Amino acid sequence: MDLHILDHKLRVTSISKTGLQQYTHPLIKLIFLRNRTRCKFFSLTETPENYTVVLDEEGFKELQPSEHLQVEGSTWLPLNVVSNGNTSSSSQAVGVTKIAKSVIAPLAEQHVSVFMLSTYQTDFILVREKDLSVVVETLVEEFNIFREEGGESVPVHSQDACNGLQRNGREVPHATVHPVLIPENQFCVMSLDPDTLPAIATTLIDVLFYSNSPKEGASVDQDMKCIKFFSFSLIDGYVSLVMDTEAQRQFPADLLFTSSSGELWRMARIGGQPLGFDECGIVAQISQPLADSDISAYYISTFSFDHALVPEEDIVSVTEMLQAQRKDMSC
Amino acid sequence: MSSGYKPDILWSPHHADRYVICDTELSLYRIGPAGSSETKAGALPLSEETAATLLAINSDTPYMKCVAWYPKQEPECLLAVGQANGRVVLTSLGQSHNSKCKELVGKEFVPKHARQCNTLAWNPVDSNWLAAGLDKHRADFSVLIWDISSKFSPEAVPAEKVRLSGDVDSGLVVTKPLYELGQNDACLSLCWLPRDHQKLLLAGMHRNLAIFDLRNTSQKTFVNTKAIQGVTVDPHFQDRVASFFEGQVAIWDLRKFEKPVFTLTEQPKPLTKVAWCPTRMGLLATLTRDSNIIRLYDMQHTPMPFGDEVEPTIIERSVQPCSESIISSFAWHPSAQNRMVVVSPNRVMNDFTVFERISLAWSSTTALMWACGRHLYECTEDAGQGVAAAEKDIATKMRERAQSHYGHDTVQVWRNHVLAGGDDPQLRSLWYTLHFMKQYTENVEQKQQSNKQSLIYSGIKNIVKSSSGTTETRRCWSGSDRQTDVPWYHSEERSLALQLCGWISRGPDIDVEPFLKSLEQEGEWERAAAVALFNLDIRRAIQILNKGASAEKGDLNLNVVAMALSGYTDEKNSLWREMCSSLRLQLKKPYLCVMFAFLTSEPGAYDAVLYESRVAVRDRVAFACMFLNDAQLPRYIDKLANEMKEAGNLEGILLTGLTKDGVDLMESYVDQTGDVQTASFCMLKGSPGEVLKDPRVQCWIENYRNLLDAWRFWHKRAEFDIHRSKLDSSSKPLAQVFVSCNFCGKSISYSCSAMPHQGRGFSQYGVSGSPTKSKVTSCPGCRKPLPRCALCLMNMGTPVSSCPGTGKADEKADLTRDKKLAQFNNWFTWCHNCRHGGHAGHMLSWFRDHSECPVSACTCKCMQLDTTGNLVPSDSV
Repeated sequence: MDLHILDHKLRVTSISKTGLQQYTHPLIKLIFLRNRTRCKFFSLTETPENYTVVLDEEGFKELQPSEHLQVEGSTWLPLNVVSNGNTSSSSQAVGVTKIAKSVIAPLAEQHVSVFMLSTYQTDFILVREKDLSVVVETLVEEFNIFREEGGESVPVHSQDACNGLQRNGREVPHATVHPVLIPENQFCVMSLDPDTLPAIATTLIDVLFYSNSPKEGASVDQDMKCIKFFSFSLIDGYVSLVMDTEAQRQFPADLLFTSSSGELWRMARIGGQPLGFDECGIVAQISQPLADSDISAYYISTFSFDHALVPEEDIVSVTEMLQAQRKDMSC
Repeated sequence: MSSGYKPDILWSPHHADRYVICDTELSLYRIGPAGSSETKAGALPLSEETAATLLAINSDTPYMKCVAWYPKQEPECLLAVGQANGRVVLTSLGQSHNSKCKELVGKEFVPKHARQCNTLAWNPVDSNWLAAGLDKHRADFSVLIWDISSKFSPEAVPAEKVRLSGDVDSGLVVTKPLYELGQNDACLSLCWLPRDHQKLLLAGMHRNLAIFDLRNTSQKTFVNTKAIQGVTVDPHFQDRVASFFEGQVAIWDLRKFEKPVFTLTEQPKPLTKVAWCPTRMGLLATLTRDSNIIRLYDMQHTPMPFGDEVEPTIIERSVQPCSESIISSFAWHPSAQNRMVVVSPNRVMNDFTVFERISLAWSSTTALMWACGRHLYECTEDAGQGVAAAEKDIATKMRERAQSHYGHDTVQVWRNHVLAGGDDPQLRSLWYTLHFMKQYTENVEQKQQSNKQSLIYSGIKNIVKSSSGTTETRRCWSGSDRQTDVPWYHSEERSLALQLCGWISRGPDIDVEPFLKSLEQEGEWERAAAVALFNLDIRRAIQILNKGASAEKGDLNLNVVAMALSGYTDEKNSLWREMCSSLRLQLKKPYLCVMFAFLTSEPGAYDAVLYESRVAVRDRVAFACMFLNDAQLPRYIDKLANEMKEAGNLEGILLTGLTKDGVDLMESYVDQTGDVQTASFCMLKGSPGEVLKDPRVQCWIENYRNLLDAWRFWHKRAEFDIHRSKLDSSSKPLAQVFVSCNFCGKSISYSCSAMPHQGRGFSQYGVSGSPTKSKVTSCPGCRKPLPRCALCLMNMGTPVSSCPGTGKADEKADLTRDKKLAQFNNWFTWCHNCRHGGHAGHMLSWFRDHSECPVSACTCKCMQLDTTGNLVPSDSV
């Protein structure tokens, strides 16, 4: 297996719902006018709380600082696992599940905080730049690590990265188990030919920026039935969309790509309180049991919470599993 | 392959006259000769000779991303179209209702997860297999190999899960691929390897090229590279693959797959297409975005596989098929040599044939050969008898002259022009000039008068400049007491010049009678008459003309001229003068013409004589020396010398001499004729100090030597070297071969030369002779015996025993050349490998019949080790 450290330096930001108008111009530019910006990595996720925007430094320049823009202080680097060999096609589990054991768990043990971003095409594991040496040291046994620089893949060896293993000093209690919210909406993960992006522009703008208007004041309650969740990413020319079936109906069906089986996903939102960026092991907590049961998952971290998507048919067992886990921990 | 909505073009693999243009729809065209009955109205002209007719349009498949043409003959027009959502659709164009085709057309191959289809490739052998390269998906494979003959497989997609594809029931949708390769990656381009049709070369997003073997998909070889677009195999060299990235093309050798064999020079704009020429070995065409130029890289002379460090040579060219329009795509014609069709973004098509690069080679003889495409042309000189010698190629001339010892006659120097064929007036003049110069120096030596000697080789130009003490006299017409009003000049230098011109044999008396006699002998009547007239002997001139008229094959008109001449009068306004000055221009013979010009000219104004270019330079110069005053003469000589220099006329050597001026003149002669032979021989006569050191002269000499070597005229080369070293002692080669004693290690020849009282030395190989005939059978240093000859078993130094038939008595009577040969027979020679050897003569005769060493028990194949040993000189000794 190969682990590629991609050539993007990312910032994780959040735009509050009320401050959105101030940022619609840069956002539309980043989404639709690919030729006008040098931004290569852009992800926008709408949650009931806010908009999470992950973008590279070229894109970050477009966002004017204001009270509505919260920026996480660190620079993040995306990692990408490539099954360079030939994983036999027997295992149907995809996404985070596949890398749970090999990447997420070891990093959690080394107290490296990760920010997950799954797309239609692949899964990105974002780590802080300052943690890179620890990441390399931790994963070098399992992976051939390459750092991509200017289009070339350069092999990375642990000696290059750091002199010795430096654990993150913070002692974080391992036991924190966060509440999980399972809304009722069904989600689909889709893609799009970037050339046809203009064709869905109006719909996309409508869904992204005017979603709140009809249903005013959707509260973020535990007992909420459905939550608003929409994710758009444009990374290295590839478009990925995550939306619920209600939003999907607004798009012309023949332009969006999805799997021929038309699989649907349910969501588990992790966290009662905003999670912050320092806590480790949150992804591991979820992905580990899923991997054990060989259940596929998408995982999208946002500024406040983490979101895991699991196949519709597996949601019952996942719910049970998470509840059981909670019980184990609390007693 | 295709990008966006720019049209791409595909040739039918089996119908050389059909191609498809694909942009938003597929259009089938037939190409035919322009203006023929086949091409109807509405045909699009592609070039001056060809036009295309639109046969069919297919717009059934939207969102086309790539197209591949079914490689087999039947069904003939089946196309696979890859779409933006990853589906691959089989479609057809302009088909009659072919049953086999009908079954296939409309069939769709659907990947599990929709994403763009980047590339398609049919398996060249198992033509049911179609490989599709797709963009990446987190949970799916990027290369799917479909079997187009497979039926709908309902178990692949449970019916209740089918929400998005409604047409499954038609039985035309296939969802289960034969093979799936390349997880977690995009496939940007792929191709099947023709050497093994089970192998597939893929180029992926993660910057690698990988070769999969379908018999064992877990085994793969891969290499990391940026060049992952447009992989394509050279149809003529199946291990050679090209791929590209942005503006750079990498060429791979699959047998050494670790890194590209080389990369081509990077283009500023990204490439859009790279294609090997199917009709020409190692020719790669590339096209960049928004360009109207196709670049061609010719790798045919590149040896494969390459050495590690050797940079291969590639000839880069560019062609511009249509002058101003940008090219969207191009396609090589599958069978017509070097032909392609290009298409512009607005679908203007152009039929174009890349003109083959011509390579050309001269032989050292006259033949010229060139290759163009599949044709080889040889151009040789017409060796027929009808060809005039003057029209022959200079190489032929030089060869013939070398064989006739041209340049080697150092006694009668003028004879060299006869050796050169005797038909070139310039050479004739040159060698006579050199002859007169030599003659003069020899005479001077006799007279012990050396003050003019240095001047003689510097030409008349310098001689007249040094002129002083000119006397002006008025001479009488000989045989008449009438005094002419023609001033006549005389000085020591002028008479020297006249000697060089050959008019008089020695000064200071002006006696042209011997010269006139020799001209009469050669039958140059007009020239003789003119010279007589210029010496104011009108009676002699008339006499010569009469003689000429009565001679065998004489021209009776000369009598008429004599008659006209006899009527000479110096009255200014006579009818004679009037008629002569106007009619003389109609005379064909230049010497007759100048005679009348002289008679009708005013004194001192002889331009009609001096600038009559058909008259030999030496005669004009001699004339000028007699009739021009000290002011006019140098001016005239300078002017004439410059003219000669510019024209490269060897007659001018008379004026310039063998000076730097002379080298300039010779340079322009060589530039025009390429005759380095004459240049070398001529300049060797010059003073070694100045002229021979001129780099141009050295260049001519070296080139002449190389030329002789190239003709295998080795003996001639050696003769030339000997000749050269006689005239230019600085060119003597240093000793290159020494024979040293086995015991004391001292050079035998060195010891010899160290003992001058013995009076012998075989210091130089081939130049100054050989070991003497006296017996030197032991080392002069340590007195130990020299090695024995392997054949006669005598110690070296012993003369070769004479061959039967030639006794010692005969040998003495032999000519010098044979003697020299005999001396060479005594020379040491040995094999550098086995170190056996002996007398050169013995060795030569042994190896005439054997290839193995003459020493018994030695199996050395001495002769075969000698690469030049089997070359035979093409000249004789």
